[in-house]
Amino acid sequence: MPDAPEYKPVEDSVPKVDNAVAVGENLSFQRKWWRFERAVWVFFGLIILADVAGAFGRGPVAKAQQQTDSLTLHYERIERTTTPSTMTFQFAPSAIQQGHVHLFVSQSVIKQLGAQRISPQPEQSILSDGGITYTFPATSANALVEISLEPALPGVYHMETGVPGMQPIQARVVVMP
Amino acid sequence: MSTILVAIAGYFLMMLVVRVLTRRPGAQMTLFEFVIVFLMGGVIILATVGHDRSVTNCTIAVMMVGLLHRTVAWAKTKSDTLGAIIDGTPLVLVRDGQVQDEVMHGMRLAKEDVLAASRTKGVHDFNGIQYAILERNGGISIIKREEEPGTGETES
Repeated sequence: MPDAPEYKPVEDSVPKVDNAVAVGENLSFQRKWWRFERAVWVFFGLIILADVAGAFGRGPVAKAQQQTDSLTLHYERIERTTTPSTMTFQFAPSAIQQGHVHLFVSQSVIKQLGAQRISPQPEQSILSDGGITYTFPATSANALVEISLEPALPGVYHMETGVPGMQPIQARVVVMP
Repeated sequence: MSTILVAIAGYFLMMLVVRVLTRRPGAQMTLFEFVIVFLMGGVIILATVGHDRSVTNCTIAVMMVGLLHRTVAWAKTKSDTLGAIIDGTPLVLVRDGQVQDEVMHGMRLAKEDVLAASRTKGVHDFNGIQYAILERNGGISIIKREEEPGTGETES
């Protein structure tokens, strides 16, 4: 017959060191962690303030405008991936020739910045070197054209636009993730 | 691919935010904190799946988060430091009836939180508490003052 197992009564289930309960407390680590916590919340606060200002898009800092003799471009220098935005082209009277305006936009506007829709619909679209030239009927000064954008991927993209034969506008757009 | 990257980023962002929210989102979670944690999870999942709400994409995201969590749990068993960073360490809130103000303040705990835990052990004031310990899971363990040596009790 095998020996019966030996049992010892449990006298105290709480581990002790130097007659004090050993809980594994590490107060010096915890003090460092509290300092880290404060730094993280300050960082979060700064991030939120920057976001309200538009540093990550969709705010005052993100909005930009460039102007030439023939064209004023309103756009967002900071976009967000898959978030819709609008790029507005405002033509000066000098851009209107024989009842039409022509607008060149680089391929980056169509592809990387994800042009979804152009309003009004162009009368003609001509593929040209590095982009597309649109032709719109125009009878009044300050004609407006809007292109709806929705970038698919984050990155930094360079774009060029303008009225063919006149000074172009070049811009850099940052697309946030 | 982007789903996996966003899921990884979202997992560690949630880990950081929940960790710096102090330990109350654990066992001491109030109804409001419960809502906050669900709100954060909902926001993260929106960015994780993006426009691709297919079963394939959602399955990949869930599997990725599960794999990450298992990996982190394994890493915690290998490194006490990592475990302390991710889960914290137990903290003594009350020692021999004396409230540890530094810890209570640092963990944003009120004396009532400790008394609430002690009442479940039949202890009605701090004098009856030998140790109150804020555990890594957010629970408060109470060890009553011993009437006789060897009769300490714990409760989470």
